[in-house]
Amino acid sequence: MMYALLLLLTLGLSGCSMGETVQPWDKAILARPEMTFEGDPLDTKYVEHIYSSKEAASGGAGVGGGGCGCN
Amino acid sequence: MKSVPTKKTHVLGAALFAAALALPSYQTAFAEATPEHGNVSFKYLNYRDSQPGQDRIGVNAYTTSIMMPFAGKWSVTSSYTYDSVSGASPVYHSTITQDMVSGASVISEKRNAGDISLTRYLEKGSWTFGVSYSGESDYISRGYSLQRSLLTDDKNTTLTFGGSYTTDTIDAWKKSVFDTKEVVAGLFGITQILTKEDIVQLNIGYSNGVGYFSDPYKYADSRPRRRNITTFLTRWNHHFDGSDGTGKFSYRFYTDSYDVKAHTLSAEYVQPLHNEWTLIPSLRYSSQSAAYFYKPVNSVQEPPPISIGPYSVDQRLAALGALTYGIKVEKKLAHEWTVDLKLEQYEQTFNGDAGLAPFSYRSIQLGVSRVL
Repeated sequence: MMYALLLLLTLGLSGCSMGETVQPWDKAILARPEMTFEGDPLDTKYVEHIYSSKEAASGGAGVGGGGCGCN
Repeated sequence: MKSVPTKKTHVLGAALFAAALALPSYQTAFAEATPEHGNVSFKYLNYRDSQPGQDRIGVNAYTTSIMMPFAGKWSVTSSYTYDSVSGASPVYHSTITQDMVSGASVISEKRNAGDISLTRYLEKGSWTFGVSYSGESDYISRGYSLQRSLLTDDKNTTLTFGGSYTTDTIDAWKKSVFDTKEVVAGLFGITQILTKEDIVQLNIGYSNGVGYFSDPYKYADSRPRRRNITTFLTRWNHHFDGSDGTGKFSYRFYTDSYDVKAHTLSAEYVQPLHNEWTLIPSLRYSSQSAAYFYKPVNSVQEPPPISIGPYSVDQRLAALGALTYGIKVEKKLAHEWTVDLKLEQYEQTFNGDAGLAPFSYRSIQLGVSRVL
């Protein structure tokens, strides 16, 4: 149920854009560093691994994790 | 309370700082065009966690990274991390077994880790291949990952497919633990530009792990040799015209074969200021249910016989909630240099085990980077 809800939520959001395509010349703001999902990679890596040492849940943003004895 | 040195804490330290600071090759689910410039970064982390009345682990980590485009359609990214840990082991058993494992020793450990990835940019997408290595005294991990990103004709939608394989070797001779762990993971992502000021993303991840999922130092810890994890991550970035700031919001749902279910909400606001200053406050809340084999601390007197099945008193597997608040300041300098400072405070706000003392930590990050 939760899975379906999340999927519908994002697909629904995606559907919002179908009526109005954002043109290349309208993407100046989207090109700013703060509008990307990567953010500050080193900051993100530090923080995510700290959380993996304090909580059970981790991951979700990409592939290629692992690399430590943080079970 | 005065700390009591134990042999356990030496191994404990190695695992804890590795847990906190491993920096594997990690590819985020978002495609991008060939970068025009490279960059080089350095970041220092100082970390200290504690339980009520007692300081615990302290970590110092140093990471350098570089990204360089080349030959018009390629880029290479690499990072190297050195970290060290010192301090005291955590109180897993706050009450009854406190004397057994709560005391702590002076810990001094080191770790070296590195990763490198290569990206080939196409007209509508990219391929990225990465490898990583992490080595410490009793734990070696090697990882390999491959990611494909595809853009639609209008370049407003990005589909991402990723896969990784990680193989770990545990060689804790002091505890007579020699084992392996292998994890295969996959991810599908969709990133959608909604308006000229909104972009959203959904990532669905799945991993299948087989092998040793415990830690040699842990008292009364026997876990299933398989752990499957599913994650749903949604993110939304929105630019505010009035303030010229950007809000970054995310929600992650996590579930695994341990029966842990976790909800994580985070928000960050990036506010540009005068003279190239930027202020970034952030907030995060997370809650999780307990693993089905987690045992409340108060019920634990001694390790159960092996035949009893999965069993753990690891506080990370308890039901808990936690709040993190932080502030980051960035300043752009001349000649493409940028410096930043970030402070964070983490507090566990509740847990499902009355005998478990809540953790908190504070961290300081200091970074410098330059566009090449």
